Amino acid sequence: MTITAEPSAQVSTVSVTIDGHELTVPEGTTIWTAAKDAGIDIPVLCHDERYDPVGVCRVCVVETGGRVYAAACVRPCDDGMEVTTTSEEIDSARATLTELLVADQPAPEVDPKQTTTGDNLLLELADVFGVGSGNLPTASGRGTDHSNPVIAVDHDSCILCDRCVRACDDIQGNDVIGRSGKGYSTKIAFDLDDPMGSSSCVTCGECVAACPTGALTNKPINEVPIRPRTELDAVDTVCPYCGVGCALTFYVDRERAAISFAEGRAQPGSKGRLCVKGRYGWDYAASPQRLTTPLIRVDSAYPKGPLSGDVVGDSDGAQGGRSGKRRKPGGLVPYDEVLPHFREATWDEALDLVADRLGGILAEHGNGSLAGFGSAKCSNEEAYLFQKLVRTGFRNNNIDHCTRLCHASSVAALFEGIGSGAVSTTYGDVLNSDVAIITGSNATANHPVASSFFKQARRRGTTIIYIDPRAGKVADHADIYVQIKPGTDVAFYNAVMHEIIRLDLVDSDFVANRTSNFDALAATVALYPPERAEQITGISADVIRQVARVWGEANAGVIFWGMGISQHTTGTDNSRCLIALCAITGNVGKPGAGLHPLRGQNNVQGASDSGLIPMYLPDYQSVSGDDVRGKFEAAWGTELDPTNGLTVTEIIGSVLTGGVRGMYMMGENPFLSDPNINKVRKALSALDFLVVQDIFLTETAEFADVILPATSYLEKDGTYTNTDRRVQLGRKVMDPPGQARPDWQVTRDIANRLGLGWSYESPREIFEEMVPLMPSYTNLSYDNLGSTGKLYPNSDPEHTDGTVVMFDERFNTGDGLAHLVPAEWLPARELPSDEFPLVLNTGRLLEHWHTGSMTRRSYALDSIAPRAEVYLHPADAAEIGVRDGEMAQVRSRRGTITLNVKVSQREARGNCFIPFHFREAAANLLTNDEIDPVGKIPEYKFCAVSVQPVAEAGV
Amino acid sequence: MSGAGGESWPPVPGVEARNGKFPGPSLIPALNAIQERVGWLPREELAALSHDTRRPLYEIQGLVSYYPHYRTEAPPPVALHVCHDLSCWLLGSDERIAELRERYGGEADVEFVEVSCLGRCDNAPALAVNDVPGHVDDAADLLAAARVRRAEGEQVEAAHRDQPWPNDPYASGEQRYRVLRSLLGGDLDAEQVVQRLQDSGLRGLGGAGFPTGKKWELVAAQDNHPKYAICNADESEPGTFKDRQVLNDQAHLVLEGLLLGMAVVGAEEGYVFVRHEYGPEADVMRDEIERVRADGLLGDDVLGSGVRLHVEVFVSPGGYILGEESALIECMEGHRGEPRNKPPFPGVFGLWGKPTLMNSVETFADVPVIVERGAQWWQDQGVGDSIGLKFFAVSGQVARPGVYCVPMGTTSRQLLDQAGGVAGGADLAAVQPGGASSNFLGPDSLDVPLDFDTLAEAGSMLGSGALVVLAEGTDVLAAATNTLRFFRNESCGKCVPCRVGSHKAHEMLTAALAGDGLDDAAEEQLLELERTVRMTSICGLGQVALGPVASVLGLQRGGAVVDPKPRG
Repeated sequence: MTITAEPSAQVSTVSVTIDGHELTVPEGTTIWTAAKDAGIDIPVLCHDERYDPVGVCRVCVVETGGRVYAAACVRPCDDGMEVTTTSEEIDSARATLTELLVADQPAPEVDPKQTTTGDNLLLELADVFGVGSGNLPTASGRGTDHSNPVIAVDHDSCILCDRCVRACDDIQGNDVIGRSGKGYSTKIAFDLDDPMGSSSCVTCGECVAACPTGALTNKPINEVPIRPRTELDAVDTVCPYCGVGCALTFYVDRERAAISFAEGRAQPGSKGRLCVKGRYGWDYAASPQRLTTPLIRVDSAYPKGPLSGDVVGDSDGAQGGRSGKRRKPGGLVPYDEVLPHFREATWDEALDLVADRLGGILAEHGNGSLAGFGSAKCSNEEAYLFQKLVRTGFRNNNIDHCTRLCHASSVAALFEGIGSGAVSTTYGDVLNSDVAIITGSNATANHPVASSFFKQARRRGTTIIYIDPRAGKVADHADIYVQIKPGTDVAFYNAVMHEIIRLDLVDSDFVANRTSNFDALAATVALYPPERAEQITGISADVIRQVARVWGEANAGVIFWGMGISQHTTGTDNSRCLIALCAITGNVGKPGAGLHPLRGQNNVQGASDSGLIPMYLPDYQSVSGDDVRGKFEAAWGTELDPTNGLTVTEIIGSVLTGGVRGMYMMGENPFLSDPNINKVRKALSALDFLVVQDIFLTETAEFADVILPATSYLEKDGTYTNTDRRVQLGRKVMDPPGQARPDWQVTRDIANRLGLGWSYESPREIFEEMVPLMPSYTNLSYDNLGSTGKLYPNSDPEHTDGTVVMFDERFNTGDGLAHLVPAEWLPARELPSDEFPLVLNTGRLLEHWHTGSMTRRSYALDSIAPRAEVYLHPADAAEIGVRDGEMAQVRSRRGTITLNVKVSQREARGNCFIPFHFREAAANLLTNDEIDPVGKIPEYKFCAVSVQPVAEAGV
Repeated sequence: MSGAGGESWPPVPGVEARNGKFPGPSLIPALNAIQERVGWLPREELAALSHDTRRPLYEIQGLVSYYPHYRTEAPPPVALHVCHDLSCWLLGSDERIAELRERYGGEADVEFVEVSCLGRCDNAPALAVNDVPGHVDDAADLLAAARVRRAEGEQVEAAHRDQPWPNDPYASGEQRYRVLRSLLGGDLDAEQVVQRLQDSGLRGLGGAGFPTGKKWELVAAQDNHPKYAICNADESEPGTFKDRQVLNDQAHLVLEGLLLGMAVVGAEEGYVFVRHEYGPEADVMRDEIERVRADGLLGDDVLGSGVRLHVEVFVSPGGYILGEESALIECMEGHRGEPRNKPPFPGVFGLWGKPTLMNSVETFADVPVIVERGAQWWQDQGVGDSIGLKFFAVSGQVARPGVYCVPMGTTSRQLLDQAGGVAGGADLAAVQPGGASSNFLGPDSLDVPLDFDTLAEAGSMLGSGALVVLAEGTDVLAAATNTLRFFRNESCGKCVPCRVGSHKAHEMLTAALAGDGLDDAAEEQLLELERTVRMTSICGLGQVALGPVASVLGLQRGGAVVDPKPRG
């Protein structure tokens, strides 16, 4: 079954008369919708067009000639039906219904909605009908629930409209809220009538957005009161967290210079949805710990080394640390330990010093001596300027960013295979898919809003196949869940393709006309019969055959993947398999089909597009291409280095061998995010000069010579490109704190001190320079991005949203064909042993972002997920002798950390999982810095560890 | 039972959002199994069920908090359930409940609960001890027996009437299921069955009175398979127990009617949905099903006809609202038994979204009678313009409460006479001719023939076929308030008017009865509430909940016809 968003061509219609208006509407149209389209307004409480109707409040009742009234919201128009939407009797019934509900409501002056956003729909309706509670007996005392840190529940205000139930289930697919009890004592309840805060609720806030009364309201964050929207300044912008790039609106209290609350905003991709991070996780920008003044390392803090206890680390002992004291687990960089080693400076002094030192190193050690790490959190314009600085000012291509650590291998495989690193279709296109494979992706945690579309698609008939070593929540929503052994993806997909070829489910026309190298692929996968793959992957041959059949028989299939595919030493091979799987079944270039690597950072797509990659100038134009270089040399007025620069991990290695000596880091925190922290620590200490530009004091900043205070996304304009290729405008919401400056200004000012003569005055000006150099962005401009952004490529952004499905005729490769690249399965680099018997997987939590510098300063997010945990299968925990909540020591060949145990049904036996957000138990002290030979991405998803009870480990 | 609601996309117009919400099989059998094993539903078991079935916890919470059958705490070993609804109330249940509560309420092994109508109104005031029904006078014996029986697991048998009923076409000892055999053997075809039903003028006897032949024709015409058939044996309205008697004494007619319906409309799976208070009667039906199975009338190829017929008993997890056909279907699908917005009706979009034939016990039982004896015979049975035979449950303040099978069109007076008149020879204050949802009729309406249209004209209805008798001296407004309490208690809570309206009206009346009565403004407000709740509620429960009260208040409003006699 394929569901298209377009209505089918042939729809039969019915004729209906509503209040004397004769209307012809498609069969199945409800009376309410027909009336609305005819300009007739029928009041509602439970109905909201965002949700399918339930018809429970009955306020929309109309006369249709029956014995009783009909609920217009749910009743379809019958042919010849005569409808009266208003009369004295109908209005009287509506007024009585309103009165019945008002009788049990809190008084307006204490109503949780009236006293915050002030838009209680029931009270508005009561005003319309001029009713209060009348002489009806009133009731209260049905209880409140304040257990969630940011959402308040008031059962007295609840009218049981089921909007929250539908929002939670049908929109977000979280399935937490329902009706409990019966009759007059019915109430909404979470899970088994648990407190909201201890239920499985993920605090996405969709229920709050749905609630028409004061039953579910936002609590103030950091004591900034929530006020009516009309009293606040609404700023439309984009969420700063993940690559889904949800559109949102901040309501800003200008008197308090603070955000009051955030709401999702309609946009073709995210459709107004948000997750907990987007809706509640913005207060970090108002943290008192923001850097507000340039800082220069004091003389006594040399020779350089880490400054805080945690960053000193175990493996090095205490010799590098200055404080000498061990900190207890928890929290952020301890400012009191680090700041005494810096002094405040003026911008001029700091920038002069930066330019002087970087320029000095360049002069002394030559073109290979400098490098820069840009950030996928910054805007396209900032990424563009940063890489331009490195290429034209540092005179090399040593520019990289965290995409190296996430999808570099996917991008490498995609370029090789189809000539483009971007997604071939949007996440929302899943609604058109017969089958979707989600693999190596904990989408409910890492791309929550995209996952809501996956869940919704399943409810509409899409078969979901989830392939992942961890049984994340996506597994709960999968038709087929494949708990593959870590690091065996190539074997699995080769076997699936083996079976597809054996069953003759190959799309021969597509293979013949749109691909090359099929025979080589077929020869390789022939070596992987399901029985052999079963030995490697731990998945029964029958399940492999089932997956092959379901995928092969589908008319449209899409693959979504995440870091579980890419962050392996075989990451490029893993992606090659996914590309081949789509290509041999013709599943690219048509609705509901394609390849979608789910992008991690809000702007990892855009930062990569803009050129924060050592091999590519903006828009993936190779630095070694003479024509390309010529174009950029002409535009930038300088000569460019034709050799590929070093990648993130290579730069760290180069520092240790005396290659790179000076670095500029914009918004990156490699100390926590890069593998093998002990190695990173040595490298950072060894740098001659390091300037760190960030909004907080990061672990990396402890090694800095100069720290520059930057702006958060809330404090500047710029464009961001999401996982769908949607370029959106982020708008300035607040002024920067103290002397903090937008990153693009800082980069510009350093460039000018290096003699580059830049005159940019606005992000718009930078964007206008970028677009002519970036063919994919052709036609886009600040004037036509609009409030919801535009997808690229886009032939007419004034009138269309852009291209959803790419490659419908040819691929972006030289010959226009998809290049099939066979891959042989290789084991991970470091396999479990007697000493290190468990496989460690690392990743993220729903509530936290990467190194935690943002989310651990968010009241909501840090309250919900405050501590580091190692997730263990119950049997492993029992064997090790640790119980849920106890402390354990986790050790690898590279480091040791101590953290709490979480016994989890979601882990497979022999595997454990640690989120890497927590500096006090930094997972990347353990991880392996072995890299994929093509994508140069580290193997974050696989290393061997041991777990011991703390007592036995002698800590 | 299988099925998956999630297949119904895109939805049929009018099907509301919650329909088919939880794809996959009903969790009710699993919940029943846990309760059977553990005695109640511990949290850990529910969490494990959620995990194992990958179904949301809230779905489970919604069920266990909705159905009275489910216990989330370990219950005492003896459950003493005492009815407080109209027929029992008329015979002094308030006082008897107070006495029993005084005597047993404090006993550690006894759970004392006032419950809604047990369907034993002919033995009022009624109670049930561990689901064994009896009269309040039997409390001590039943308690003692319950304490013993817990150890022995003894079964209770339903009491049968020793005389044959006048409708039964099968003489004692004669081979039954002749009509079904004819249909399956080809001597009779489906169209003929439908035609006879249409010719007979039979209307559904569950309350709404939809022409049975037309319903069967409609479901038969649906080109959407599989189809289902359900016998609604969930009568639960105060004063109503005639289906209990029919099930008990004529299970063969009920089952034959159901099987005929299945064969006619093309349903292979049929269910008898029976309220859990009818345990003994459900056993009778189960025995009948086994007997029929042994005779080869159930199976994958019945009598070599190629027709597949399977029937099972589905015991309700409790609640009057499940008698509403769409609520019953929601329950069978494993959801909270809340009525659906209609249309679509079950004949088009029923169980698992498939065409479903649903009739009540008595309606199904009438089918073989009509087909066997002929439409004309059936028509001839009625009095005057009325047709057929009708079972009535007579209860309340009457000399010989019980079930009577009389010609349709018999008057209340005649029926009351058959039942020995008002108890103790007292004068009559009022009757409810069609169960707790029917408007009260005064003594001057006693000669109205008991039939659909005649009762409707008189301002009441045939309803569930239950004549409740109120003797002179009864506070009729208090009686009406008692019926309102029943509807308030049994409201599912889905829609606002019924959930809140029935509650607020009951609060107002309770206060008035305890105090100074109703002033004009309050009376006016109650009448406006009645109109709103009637006109806007989703289902029949809400639509009738305040009717009896209004009928008592509404002399001059042409509703019904009783002097209001507020206390004090």
